Amino acid sequence: MARSPNFRLLFALACVAGLLPGLSALGAEPTRGQLVYEQKCAKCHGRQGEGTADEHPEPLIGDKPVIDLTRVIEKTMPDGKPEECVGDEAKAVAEYIYDAFYSPVAQARNRPARVELSRLTVRQYRHATTDLLAGFRGNSKLGDERGLAGQYFKDRHFRDRKIERRDAVVKLKFGAGSSAEEISKDVEEYSARWQGSLLAPDTGEYEIIVRTENGMRLWLNDNERPLMDRWVKSGSDTEFRESIWLLGGRVYPLKLEFFKSKGEQTGSIELAWKRPHHTDETIATRFLSPQNNPELFLVTTPFPPDDRSVGYERGTSVSKAWDAATTDGAIQVAAFVGEHLSQLAGAKPGEADREKKCREFCRKFVERAFRHPLTDEQQALYINKQFERAPDAETAVKRVVLLTLKSPRFLYHEVDGAANNPYHVATRLSFGLWDSLPDDELLRAAAAGELATREQVTRQAQRMTTDLRARAKLGVFFEQWLRLDHLIDLSKDPEQFGKFTPEIISDLRTSLELLIDEVLTSSDADFRRLLTTDQFYVNARLAEFYGVTAADAGDVTYATVRFEPEARAGVLTHPYLMAGFSYTATSSPIHRGVFVARSVLGRALKSPPVAAAPLAPDLHPGLTTRDRIALQTQEELCQSCHRLINPLGFSFEHFDAVGRYRGEEKGKSIDAHGSYLTRTGETHEFNGAREMAEFLASSEEVHTALVEQMFHFLVKQPIRAYGPDISPKLTRSFVEQNFNLRQLTVDIMAASALPNVAAKP
Amino acid sequence: MNQTRSRRKFLRDLGVGALSLPFVLNLPSLGFANQAARKQRLVVIFSPNGVVPTAFWPDAAGADFKLKASLTPLEPFRERTLIVHGLCDKVRGDGDNHMRGMGCLLTGTELFPGNIQGGSHTPAGWSSGLSIDQEIKNYLQQNEATRTRFGSLEFGVMVPDRADTWTRMVYTGPNKPVAPIDDPYQMFNKLYGRAKDQGHLKSVLDDLQADFAKLETVVSAEDKQLLEDHAAFVREMELELAAPRDNELAHAEPQLDPGVKEENDNMPRLSKMQIDLMVNSFAADFARIATLQITNSVGGAKMRWLGIDEGHHELSHEPDSNESAQDKLTRINKWYCEQMAYLANRLAETPEPGGDGSLLDNTLIVWTNELGKGNSHTLDNIPFVMVGGGLDFKMGRALNLKNIPHNRLLLSFAHGFGHRIERFGNPDFCGGGPISELT
Repeated sequence: MARSPNFRLLFALACVAGLLPGLSALGAEPTRGQLVYEQKCAKCHGRQGEGTADEHPEPLIGDKPVIDLTRVIEKTMPDGKPEECVGDEAKAVAEYIYDAFYSPVAQARNRPARVELSRLTVRQYRHATTDLLAGFRGNSKLGDERGLAGQYFKDRHFRDRKIERRDAVVKLKFGAGSSAEEISKDVEEYSARWQGSLLAPDTGEYEIIVRTENGMRLWLNDNERPLMDRWVKSGSDTEFRESIWLLGGRVYPLKLEFFKSKGEQTGSIELAWKRPHHTDETIATRFLSPQNNPELFLVTTPFPPDDRSVGYERGTSVSKAWDAATTDGAIQVAAFVGEHLSQLAGAKPGEADREKKCREFCRKFVERAFRHPLTDEQQALYINKQFERAPDAETAVKRVVLLTLKSPRFLYHEVDGAANNPYHVATRLSFGLWDSLPDDELLRAAAAGELATREQVTRQAQRMTTDLRARAKLGVFFEQWLRLDHLIDLSKDPEQFGKFTPEIISDLRTSLELLIDEVLTSSDADFRRLLTTDQFYVNARLAEFYGVTAADAGDVTYATVRFEPEARAGVLTHPYLMAGFSYTATSSPIHRGVFVARSVLGRALKSPPVAAAPLAPDLHPGLTTRDRIALQTQEELCQSCHRLINPLGFSFEHFDAVGRYRGEEKGKSIDAHGSYLTRTGETHEFNGAREMAEFLASSEEVHTALVEQMFHFLVKQPIRAYGPDISPKLTRSFVEQNFNLRQLTVDIMAASALPNVAAKP
Repeated sequence: MNQTRSRRKFLRDLGVGALSLPFVLNLPSLGFANQAARKQRLVVIFSPNGVVPTAFWPDAAGADFKLKASLTPLEPFRERTLIVHGLCDKVRGDGDNHMRGMGCLLTGTELFPGNIQGGSHTPAGWSSGLSIDQEIKNYLQQNEATRTRFGSLEFGVMVPDRADTWTRMVYTGPNKPVAPIDDPYQMFNKLYGRAKDQGHLKSVLDDLQADFAKLETVVSAEDKQLLEDHAAFVREMELELAAPRDNELAHAEPQLDPGVKEENDNMPRLSKMQIDLMVNSFAADFARIATLQITNSVGGAKMRWLGIDEGHHELSHEPDSNESAQDKLTRINKWYCEQMAYLANRLAETPEPGGDGSLLDNTLIVWTNELGKGNSHTLDNIPFVMVGGGLDFKMGRALNLKNIPHNRLLLSFAHGFGHRIERFGNPDFCGGGPISELT
């Protein structure tokens, strides 16, 4: 029985989560150590080891290991009567106080939550450096139209233009009967050009693929140097690939040129790609725009990953590797600024006022980077001094860039104090919703004092949610919420599921992305719809594999269909997740249950107390998956968590290892009854995934969990640091606003960007 | 001028005593790769459109040869020169002779069919194999002792800004042509950009640390630790930047004349700048292999500084009977030869860092061409003129081989580096292996 590696990771994360503060609802039974402590120690040391004024004022905190603590207790405690607590009892007390309040980890857990000084996360660093320079080169827009602007010429030199039109995709066989028939008629040489922009949905390495038996050139995010130059046709290759690293949620200028020469028999071209998590596919219309856009600068330096041990990425630690990466990033920006100085500063070499313009560029650059106007002192240090000491303006500019991008004023949030000054408010909004720098409008509002009230901040946040960057950030949230980053390898047992190909897996992911995207961008953006919808996106391949009818679907075209509405409900039952939370041959109720418990219900689960390999199905040929799991986890030791996990996971049992519906397993009909015991002790029972999904959509626990997870993802600070009321307040307003997810992000930002300022009644 | 120092002197200056030398010398971190065996280098210089045979090839073979008009600039290096007549580019297939002359010159193999139509023959694409310089570079880069930062450097002078079979002679593999860098400033950035950026960084670190110190007083006590941790990394970086690297010890970066535009009339200056950069990168041991592609196959340089207003390619089509044209072509090739002589001279006057003798003692310069003769477009008797002691060839001679495929010369280059491959390019032209007469 093979276990795919992502499950090991899942267990490791569940293990870390077990240490989380204040979330554990399990393990309420007091341990022996706790009982002894309360009986023999608490009188002098206090119930939480805080000390007592009369007997022992110092708190019980330190960094000795348990073995040392045991020895100290055996030899010295209780005071004057050390023989009263020895052996196993001393060890049990030591273990209890170590975990409860003594150890450094326990101390950190018990410390009241506060807003901690944080550096930019990697995602924030990348977006901020991109926007820092984009501010000088014009804004990017996807626009409303999709596809590319195509032009077709009846010669090889782009002179005799015959057709001008918008093409939904680039996939064309020229010649008689083609949609561009007239350009190839009676001539041997012709050419075509497509222009516009490409939307990169995810951050990562893309392979751009062009298929043609003719000559072509492709430019992407660089209007000077082509990414691919196959103008020279050479050999018999007809497929060409080139890698490019792109930042997700951004649009990049794209141009593709094609020509057919005399000697060639046929003409055809296709523009395809392999984007992260997907297989090769024609670039679909929704990623293309006929709009022209400026090139974007990208810091491509690799960074060490951010700490995610508390469930969300945050920048509360630094490392040498991170510092070195910021140096490389700064050098990359400086080199870019050096090369493009004339354009960025609007000053040609040799111009009389070039130095003045360079200084002006630097002032804007530093202000954008620091997110506030410069004080005289900062102006003197970061700009004037560099210009005075450098031999020429170019050198001065490079030094200003390096100094600025290495400065804590750029690399950290609110390093100069966390007051509610308007520039801090602007910055909290932009990093919260975009993971990037404030735009001109936010800086203008800050300067005009228009970020002082809840209403003003709400208005700005509302404006910002329509930006591509906000959409992209929300998309990443749901990727993490659905644990998609753990579902790396979905390949299945080829004997049972031979037709579950990499292409099907890739299409499934697209189907899931389309569903999430549709809910997020629809006018109601209703969270409950994510959990309960019976509308799913399929292309022709998926329709065939899952046996649904979708007349409008093609290879790259997806259609919505009602998909097994009695059994299936929303993203949780999406075949991508069902297949992801499965073994290679069988479903995995445990992984499905852990996912619902942790992600959807926000429950903390400890790691398994004993390492357990799953029981091999072939050793229990008569048992259904459900029976086998019940057998494996029957011991009381396991049941403390599996009482919660298994009944959630069992309700998905109608879906096999590739997420297909099944009525029976091993000749026995499927039992998909499940239940959930809430934090407040009520039991909810359901039969099958749809009933469970409907319960979850109405559960306050789910709403609270979502609000808190969203808060942490956007703000990257503990929600409790903003006071005890903020979570219930945000949850209430989420319910009142009909679970509108975009509105939730606005409310979260309004509450966290301007804390301690109440909304007007 | 560059400061070059031997490794022994460097260690002496460090105060490392003689007793510890054998140990220290084994430390790769001290740089100066490949001390045990001598360093070996290969430079290929290309110029286009064939030569005027009567003004190029010596009349007699042997040690007692006389340099003809085109080759007179090599007089100071006569004893270290080897002129090989009789090497023929036998590769046929798609493409006209200019295309094959260029694309097969260093690859020794056919061009792929393609969509580039020359003046005659069938259209063609890129070469179907890698070039010998890249083959040798890969060989050197595999071995720790001979590995260098870049392995090879591809220089150009006035190479047109278009990619086709006429403008590329170096290939890293089938269909993988390498564009030569013909902008000296771009080459300078490639070689020294990192060091320059680090210089800028060094100059702002004091200011950065001053601001760190100020901010540490502003943040709360609980947050201060994070900033202090960060500041410690910045201090570490400062120390690392202060420690000079091996290459910086061995040589200072060259100064380029600023603002030389890429224009026909600047060719002499551009060529000199590129050659100076090449010599510097050898002294710093950035690479052991270099190519210098002057213009391109069919190149039309107008050498107005010689009083020649016509383009080179246009002149090269003139018949033998046009004496004025033949005189101009002779002078044009003499100018190319002067570039080789300038490189030889610079290498000869630069001591070998960490070794004995000069850079030229360990470098073989090969000057070649895509055609034997311009007006006939022949691929027979391709010019190969060599200077320097890089590969243990027996120099100071004119050789007259009779109709030998040039693939065998490419094999000889590899064998000269100890890379004993049996075939290179099209195996049909490798019979007999490396050319024994060379050594």
